[in-house]
Amino acid sequence: MSSTGAPVALVTGGAGGIGRAIAARMAVAGHTVVVGDLEADAVRATAEETAGAHGVVLDVADPGSRRAAVAACEDLGGIDVLVNCAGVLRDARLAKLDPGLFRRLQDVNLLGPLALTRLAAAGMAARGRGAVVNLASRAWLGTFGSTAYSTAKGGLVGATRSLALELGPHGITVNALAPGFVDTAMTDGLPPEIRRRTLAAIPVGRAGRPEDVADAVAYLAGASYVTGQVLPVCGGRSVADPYAA
Amino acid sequence: MTGVLDDRRDLVAGVLGEGSLVPAVRAALDSITPGLARAFCVVPAVPDPAPLTDLDDGRLDREVGDALAATLAHVQQAAATFAGGGRLVVVLPHAPLLGTTRGAAASAVTNGVLSMARTLALELARDRVTVNVLAVDADAPSVRALAAELEALLGDAGADVTGQEISLTAGAGLGRLRP
Repeated sequence: MSSTGAPVALVTGGAGGIGRAIAARMAVAGHTVVVGDLEADAVRATAEETAGAHGVVLDVADPGSRRAAVAACEDLGGIDVLVNCAGVLRDARLAKLDPGLFRRLQDVNLLGPLALTRLAAAGMAARGRGAVVNLASRAWLGTFGSTAYSTAKGGLVGATRSLALELGPHGITVNALAPGFVDTAMTDGLPPEIRRRTLAAIPVGRAGRPEDVADAVAYLAGASYVTGQVLPVCGGRSVADPYAA
Repeated sequence: MTGVLDDRRDLVAGVLGEGSLVPAVRAALDSITPGLARAFCVVPAVPDPAPLTDLDDGRLDREVGDALAATLAHVQQAAATFAGGGRLVVVLPHAPLLGTTRGAAASAVTNGVLSMARTLALELARDRVTVNVLAVDADAPSVRALAAELEALLGDAGADVTGQEISLTAGAGLGRLRP
């Protein structure tokens, strides 16, 4: 809890397309937001556009950077909500999947979030409350050509379940979101035919917006009776045929 | 045996991995006659239970990162032999797939591998390779059930089964939500 009495929310990847929307939404929900991301300029810009926000340069794959970010949040009163949003996506079919690339995706998308959760949970447990929201992906269900990414996101979903069991008695909830296709800079470059087929497989008939994900994050961050769950935010694609059309 | 083809069955069915379930998988394979020339069982190493507070950066790297990387290497090794088709079966402990207290690392590995298997089932279908996951009780694996399921998955009847997670635990876990 910050000196203003507002709960502190660290949003990793907070200067990216989805992260920025989460930061804004959490601020509206009354949190003191700490925007964590790789690029200092982007962090500063996002913090400036987010009411009452702070910024910290954070590489979730770097142990020292993680410790520094958590320490910066401790100076504000400690992390009440950890949103593990930072992620990296690179596709490669199995035969061409380089072990170094595979490891990089595990470091950023899985090991980093788990390590940050360990650091943040200590303070949350001491205060008897807290929430962790992990941004997984619909890829956890399997996505052609995405072995490294789906492995990491599946691992994050699995860890979410066990962490919910372990941390629940300490007043800490742990949940995951599984976004589907969301319009961001990352998806802007998709070939038109791939985009058309993807949209055709989404029952609500549109791409997701970062705000769709941010609303779900805000809900899970405040839902003290919901834990260990994975919430798909994918326009219904997870119950449709994802490869239709 | 780690990363080495088990050729006792003349490559009818090999075992890759260093998980604690390797002996059970070998015993199951020894009791059946798989009907396919190319089939591998991958048995990943899964971390022991540990509280989150004990999962420092080094342990996460070793027990989660290295385990997933080793599984990828084994899957790539197996897939490289699958010209014209094949069967890949991943055998995992059931409990961490569902979630356990002090099981964050184990759940990360098992569910990461489960998602890997789902993706590979999609990706390798065009190469006539099936990929499935068998979940067993790590403390008391039923070799009989494992053998029966392997015989089905590795035989002709297994050609139409892929991307599935099949629990061989006599109903343990029923009533628990499985995403």
